[in-house]
Amino acid sequence: MKGLVVPVTLVLVAELCARLFGITSDSLASPSQIIAAAVGIVADGSLFTMTGQTLFAAVVGLAIGGGLGLVMAILLGLIQPLARLMHFSVEAFRPIPAIAILPIMLMIYGFGYRMEIAIIAFACFWPVLIIGQAAVSGIEPRLIEVSKVLGLTFLGRVTKIVLPAALPRLFVAFRLAAAVSLIVAVTVEIAMNPQGLGYELMAAQSSLRPEVMFAILLWVGLIGWGLNAFLLYAQNRLFGFAGKLEVPR
Amino acid sequence: MRKIRDMGRASVSKKTERALWSVASVAVGLAIIGLWQYIAWQKYVSPVFLPGPDRAWSALLEGFESGALTERTLATVERMAYGWVLASVLGVAIGALIGSSRVARQYLGPTLEFIRPLPASAMIPVAIAFFGLTKSMVLGVIAFGSIWPMLLATIHGFASVEPRLIEVARVLKLTRLEFIFKIALPNSMPDIFAAMRLGLTIALILSVVGEILAFQGGLGSHILEASRSFRSAELFAGVILLGIIGLLSNLALGALESRLLRWRSQ
Amino acid sequence: MTAAVLPAAPSAAHRGDPLIAFRGVSLSLGGRLILEDIDLDMRRREFICVVGPSGCGKTTLLRLIAGLLHPDKGEVVYDGKPVTAPASDIALIFQDYSKALLPWRTASGNVSLAFEARSLPKAERPARIAALLDKVGLKQHADKYPIQLSGGMQQRLQIARCLAQEPSVLLMDEPFGALDAMTRQVLQDEVLRIAESAGTSVFFVTHDLEEAIYLGDRVIAMSPNPGRVTEVFDVPLPRPRNQLTTREHPEFLRLRRELFDFIQESEIEQTAIEESKA
Repeated sequence: MKGLVVPVTLVLVAELCARLFGITSDSLASPSQIIAAAVGIVADGSLFTMTGQTLFAAVVGLAIGGGLGLVMAILLGLIQPLARLMHFSVEAFRPIPAIAILPIMLMIYGFGYRMEIAIIAFACFWPVLIIGQAAVSGIEPRLIEVSKVLGLTFLGRVTKIVLPAALPRLFVAFRLAAAVSLIVAVTVEIAMNPQGLGYELMAAQSSLRPEVMFAILLWVGLIGWGLNAFLLYAQNRLFGFAGKLEVPR
Repeated sequence: MRKIRDMGRASVSKKTERALWSVASVAVGLAIIGLWQYIAWQKYVSPVFLPGPDRAWSALLEGFESGALTERTLATVERMAYGWVLASVLGVAIGALIGSSRVARQYLGPTLEFIRPLPASAMIPVAIAFFGLTKSMVLGVIAFGSIWPMLLATIHGFASVEPRLIEVARVLKLTRLEFIFKIALPNSMPDIFAAMRLGLTIALILSVVGEILAFQGGLGSHILEASRSFRSAELFAGVILLGIIGLLSNLALGALESRLLRWRSQ
Repeated sequence: MTAAVLPAAPSAAHRGDPLIAFRGVSLSLGGRLILEDIDLDMRRREFICVVGPSGCGKTTLLRLIAGLLHPDKGEVVYDGKPVTAPASDIALIFQDYSKALLPWRTASGNVSLAFEARSLPKAERPARIAALLDKVGLKQHADKYPIQLSGGMQQRLQIARCLAQEPSVLLMDEPFGALDAMTRQVLQDEVLRIAESAGTSVFFVTHDLEEAIYLGDRVIAMSPNPGRVTEVFDVPLPRPRNQLTTREHPEFLRLRRELFDFIQESEIEQTAIEESKA
């Protein structure tokens, strides 16, 4: 509750200032204007549309990038020689910022979903690979031995032993990648792609409608926070203490 | 005696084993580049979209010889560095202020937690609204975007000081300032360093985005222009360069970190 | 608090006056009564050991003297004045030594912290740090970080840092509990040596009955729920103490038996009380 004091006070002060001084501005909006704008874009369905566009790209990109990352993480985590061979290449490609891929994808796909999804997939691939590989290679070796003694096939080993054992840490990687997918989606839309929340943010600013801009901004913040909070809650429910990266000894 | 000698021999062969694996992994990397080259030669993908490494490399060299790439690289690096340094200093300072007061932590904590997941790039339109499409706008966005990891890490570091050390400080009668500089800040160093790495990555990304949007020169504008005119070799050269910047800055920071954080593990 | 009770707060330099005194001290923490009506005296240069089962408030006693806690009732008096805040010449040695050291400073750096707190001129520090490290046997490890030191060495480092305060009183909270038997014996003798040579008064809390008798001039036995002083034993063993001969001394064995019986009885009593409550 204490945490609400500061934001609520700021909002009230802002509202007061706006009413007292009656400022009209191209770059500022009073809280009441923002709320009105928010209601507006909900009512006319545009908030729904733009959110859907961003989330769709984010989810598909996360699925593709995360999925590929997971496969690679399992392979590299289980087959140590392979991990050692790929070490250099991974470290060489990893530092490329996802946003740098944007012009390439723009060139190939032009505007639209495919370009955005490709960039998001690229961005989500790496955290899942790196953390996932650590998760898989960190599985108790005894369990792997058990799986060999039991004569499980590689696929069987993966599904029955590896995935369940690495699941807590894999979930942490997933959480991180989910956050990345949202951030990258919005960033791509701000920088280039004419669809989704990011684009609408820029459009609202350039058409001098700050109240809409701030409304969307708050909404983006809410989605980001909500997604994070939800995944954290899910992690604690599913895994309890096992979700922590560092297991206390 | 013999046991020690055998152990010595075992560790030597382990070293050479590791070296061999490193060489092998570089070889794999080169093989992948070779594959890329092959695909380009065979034109499995149109050369408009996928230049071979040879063309990308020559574009890279040309760019530096003519000075065009040098200038842009420096512009991007400068921007990223300034923004990141500013963010680090402010982040640690503000974090120390908030972190050293439990009251401040309680009142401001939740608000900060809410702002944390916000995409830094989402502040760009707000910044443009206030500052216009200027160089300082981009710098401001970079600083604002990259400040959060350092800020939160400092607060977290301050909040997680070992209670025993707090008691030691009380028994030794350390002043508040002494406590901050001798105990709280050093304690937060590992978290702050990890955050600075993240902050650096964010700073690079925001630099590029800022350059794409505001046409402020630098590599961001360069790769955008290249993509618009389908000059794929130059585009790839720029992307590779950005990757190198990311890699080198991370390595440099990592080296600094292991030097300063020697006390964590032998 | 009730300073008026003591006439004009005379310094306790008079041999008779206690250096530290508990007068009717009671303390509750988190709703539980930890200490009840504690009356205790400690003289100068005395080595007092406190024993008792877990939960009897031995550590709380230390914290009260150190000024980290304040009594709800009664007062703790140090050198004639009531304790309101940590005194610069009272040093506290914690049981979890690794947590009480600064991991980012070397051994020298850790000792230096105490000098920095006292604003000792920089020029004087290196020599005195070296002397202290030498005293606790860590001269060769001056540039090592705590993580590179063994448990015994870390504890010795903590002792060195506390000695840097030039304390009149050393408060030690089960300092050797986490160490192996051999290290424990070595450190016991070192503490005795240091206390003797510097004339330091020591307030030593421990679980180990034999350790308490070996080290102390007096052993204070406490009972829990609520924590109170139940019995005070005098230890008329000759000094300097010796790990072999003192531990075989008939007086040592007698006290050992007495203390052991006492602890057992109080435990039986405890169990009876708990069962009657249930």
